[in-house]
Amino acid sequence: MPLWFELAALMVAAYGAGLGIGWALWGRKEQEED
Amino acid sequence: MAKASAMPIRPAIAIPVGALLTGASAYLLAEPWAPHFIDRLDSQAAQAIAGAGGSGVTARFANGVGSPSRHPLLSGGEKLDEDTRAKVARAVASIPGVGGVTWADGTARAESDEPVYQPLHCQEDVEGLLRTRSIRFEEASSALLPASRMLLDEVADALRPCLGSIIAITGHTDNQGTEPGNLALSMERARVVREALVRRGIPRDGLRASGVGSSQPVEGLSPSDPANRRIEFSVIRTEPLRPTPVDTPGAR
Repeated sequence: MPLWFELAALMVAAYGAGLGIGWALWGRKEQEED
Repeated sequence: MAKASAMPIRPAIAIPVGALLTGASAYLLAEPWAPHFIDRLDSQAAQAIAGAGGSGVTARFANGVGSPSRHPLLSGGEKLDEDTRAKVARAVASIPGVGGVTWADGTARAESDEPVYQPLHCQEDVEGLLRTRSIRFEEASSALLPASRMLLDEVADALRPCLGSIIAITGHTDNQGTEPGNLALSMERARVVREALVRRGIPRDGLRASGVGSSQPVEGLSPSDPANRRIEFSVIRTEPLRPTPVDTPGAR
């Protein structure tokens, strides 16, 4: 597996995790307020 | 805070675009940095190979299309013995940053020092024997058919590596006749098989015979199907039996 692919997989996974955490912390609350 | 008056960004577009940008930035980040990293692994691998006595072995830190990879492909050293090859592969695999190590000729893979657990496979062997053939009896009787005697020879051979284990022999019947009769018949058939195995050199104390009548038909078959008349074997304990202190003879 090429090195760049491993790094890309890791970073995209972190991006997804960040989105999920961000949504759980702030996005959900905003949705409830709307 | 005032809400932005610009056109709202749709998450369905923004999220995949963000993922693509993240992937692209990973590529741009990795490409200039990879050669330095791979050079370092390369020189460390050469040292590790020399230290493990792998003369003639080379580690290639690239995949099939030549892209840098941290999973090296080892080649050369065909004349080395398997122990040395395993040692070389382990030495390379233990370098920090190195991923899985494979040999180009595929004869050996890097293995850890931990002992490999090799389970006894007599259960699978017996199941393999009984997949296409079964131990059959004369109708409404516990007398073995002649063909089943030959099959029992093979079953006994397959069970031999598991001597010292507890082997359960379970008799089953179809649902023809009364249940108490079926139960007795299934028990009697399991007992006949146990005795047949004892005659073939399997110790009696490791064998447990039981019958369940027609209560456990083969999955997917109707209880009346004759294929439910069968004997099942299961190896239920694979460690050798040790005598209890009471059974152990004293010093005198």
